[in-house]
Amino acid sequence: MPQVVRFAVRRLGRGVLTLWFAATVTFLLLRLLPGDPALAVASPNMTPEARQILLHQYGLDQPLLAQYGKYLWQLLHGNLGISFTQQISVTDVLLERLPWTLLLTISSLVVTVAVGIPLGVLAATRPRGLLDRLVQVGGVTGQSLFVPSVGIFLLFVFGLQLHWLPIGGAYSPGIYGAAWYGDVALHLILPCFSLVLVQLGSYVLTLRSTLIESLGEDYCVLARAKGLPNRKVVWKHGLRNALLPTTTLVGLQLGFLVGGAVLTETVFAYPGIGRGIYEAVTQLDFPVLQGAFVLLAATVVVANVLTDLAYGLLDPRVRTA
Amino acid sequence: MRVRTPLIAVSALALAATVAACGPSAPSKTADGGTDATLTIATTTDVVNFNPLVGNSRTDNWITSLMYPRLLTIDANGAKQPYLAKSFGYTNPTTGFYELRDDMKWSDGKPVTASDVAYTINAILKDKPAGNTTYGQLVNVDSASAPSPTRVELKLKTPDSTVVSEAGFWMNVVPQHVFEPAGSVANFPNNSNWVSAGPYKLTSFAKGQNYTLERVTPYPFAPNGTPTVAKIVYRVYPDVNTEILALKNGDVDLIANALPPAQVKNLQGASGIKVEEVPGLGYAHMTYNMKRKPLDNVKVRQALAHTVDYNAIRSVVLQGQAVSTGSSPIPPVLKEFVDPSLEEYNFDPNLSKQLLAEAGYGPGKTLTLSMIYSLQDAVTSQWATIVKDDAAKAGITINLQGMDRNTYLAKTAAGEYDIYAGNFAIMDDPTTNMALTYLPGGAINYSLVDDPALNELITKAQASTDKAEQKSLAQQAAKLVHANVYDNVMYMQNLYFAHSDKWSGFVIKPSELLSVVDPQSLANVTKS
Repeated sequence: MPQVVRFAVRRLGRGVLTLWFAATVTFLLLRLLPGDPALAVASPNMTPEARQILLHQYGLDQPLLAQYGKYLWQLLHGNLGISFTQQISVTDVLLERLPWTLLLTISSLVVTVAVGIPLGVLAATRPRGLLDRLVQVGGVTGQSLFVPSVGIFLLFVFGLQLHWLPIGGAYSPGIYGAAWYGDVALHLILPCFSLVLVQLGSYVLTLRSTLIESLGEDYCVLARAKGLPNRKVVWKHGLRNALLPTTTLVGLQLGFLVGGAVLTETVFAYPGIGRGIYEAVTQLDFPVLQGAFVLLAATVVVANVLTDLAYGLLDPRVRTA
Repeated sequence: MRVRTPLIAVSALALAATVAACGPSAPSKTADGGTDATLTIATTTDVVNFNPLVGNSRTDNWITSLMYPRLLTIDANGAKQPYLAKSFGYTNPTTGFYELRDDMKWSDGKPVTASDVAYTINAILKDKPAGNTTYGQLVNVDSASAPSPTRVELKLKTPDSTVVSEAGFWMNVVPQHVFEPAGSVANFPNNSNWVSAGPYKLTSFAKGQNYTLERVTPYPFAPNGTPTVAKIVYRVYPDVNTEILALKNGDVDLIANALPPAQVKNLQGASGIKVEEVPGLGYAHMTYNMKRKPLDNVKVRQALAHTVDYNAIRSVVLQGQAVSTGSSPIPPVLKEFVDPSLEEYNFDPNLSKQLLAEAGYGPGKTLTLSMIYSLQDAVTSQWATIVKDDAAKAGITINLQGMDRNTYLAKTAAGEYDIYAGNFAIMDDPTTNMALTYLPGGAINYSLVDDPALNELITKAQASTDKAEQKSLAQQAAKLVHANVYDNVMYMQNLYFAHSDKWSGFVIKPSELLSVVDPQSLANVTKS
């Protein structure tokens, strides 16, 4: 078997194992949660008999191992189960919400990278300059910000005080056609910038430090000595190498993004998976929670496997690691 | 780089297309009477279940009640009034009946008949949609039948004088021709192609976003049979504070949730906003777990009842927006039943000390208890601290155990507490609610009381179809509860709802479940 294929199989196998582990931990953690799914959705004057009926309907009256076996078997067949509370398939519940989460996370990632790279480069090329100092202070501050606090602050200033932007949701009802896209974009601004503000610091500071390091390397010194313009040395030689750790960070940050999206979507009533998770937690809707966590774990695992594979292709040393 | 640009473009297009799939399509125009106005209402939760026989969250109720009629409604005094049923009652102790009006239609043109009602009741009995409130109320019902298109009869297993009014008030009637082909009503999601009997029908929704309902005619409880507002849109916000921002911003016209007490005065003075006051039908209370010593001792319970400064709680935490029930489980809004002779336990730490001494507690032997409450309930969380501080004045230590709602519910169900603090949302019928609260095995008997004298009074009241006798029995039962501190009812909170002053004509109903978003209210509102 060629080395590249062996490497890919190994990484994919590890990905599958990670997914199984995440699915199992999710299953067990939910069952350890205090509370009773039947009580969470039922009326307060439910009789004990009615509670038993609900538990039976949910399959929660079976032994834990039987529940786990059924869950894994369904998972293997791509079946995430039926929502306790909504009586519809979890896949439908998640598919309804997934596009909004994708829109929010991808747009925030794009804005972060688009703003972060030039900022990092400018800071690295003028170390200890005013911009560099601002970037360092801003970067550290940004990293220490708490997503919901940023969200509430933005909501208060731009939504309530200035009335520039809507304060919640993904679009206004009653708007159709082309205007709907504009309305969606308007609603996206505040949640997107909440995420951008808290993740930008990591990108800028990582890029800044690796670029400063790269620019001090022999090949950059040589390029300058050959008389290459500084712009070319920075953007063509230094940045290409400095971007490698930043690319890794994009993969690693995906997990953070997903977590951040849960909080952001809750603050802004954004109808993505994050808000869905919040609601499912309050109702102890185990199938929806299991499905959502498996989906999110799969997203992170796939992103990391792809990053590993890309690295393997770029750097042969990784394949033997 | 050359390869990446089209790749990014394709990805962006794919994402845009995916999101566009979530986009709404323009609704078709309707041309019946009324105005073209849209009323936008804020809520904090999504509809969990579109099937009114399963869903029981507040938003579920608000939206499905606009689509599926109830047999009865209540007036501002909490008295049951005709709605789909013109009249109701008992022909003999084991036969109840509803006589329906004949002018209500489903949105597909079919009439709402007694068959729909009988089907709904029998389906609940057969399929046991356990999350549903009505299932517990139909426990004494054997079956329902429809001897004529407008008459429904309930065959009872045992005399039950409360089931007709209780099931009539709580149960939504569903269209038999839609629900029956779907099989079990317990598993029917009912999430598309809705058929409604007005005043509104759900036409589209986006989870986490909004729910759009359009008017249905004829609706006999609206002017000229036509709801004045063409469309009702419910929008979902994260919490009531964001809803208030949305109302101030003009994004919504009405907030469906009751306002937190601290926001009421603030909004009453805000320009462009009107606040409606609605009497409450529920109450806040503490119950003392009588299965645990020394709470099985009446003197200890009385001592605890006298350590609470009820007035302070009502004026400080509730900002004067609550009334005393006289420590009675019959809320004063139920004017037919209320007994004005019952007086509230007075705040008297010295009397508490004396009662504790009689129970064997004093300086050498202090009493320490735990009290559970839900941290999601901001009002209870606040008064819990006052209760703890006041109890300390009588030498009682109360350890506060605030917890998340699910843990709180689990601990409540398991009886794992000394003191339970919480709220009951709607206590619309004293006899029914006393049966649930004070009979052994009652679903909300949190004090775990089992007093033969009390059991007899409540059981007799349940079986009596004589209103005066039922009232007398309920009042005697309330006296027993009061004297023995089987329940410590602290106050009944009035509810306040905010809306834009451009709207008027709301019909007030007691309780947060009906408030100003009851079908009869929304079918009559007008925009200036």
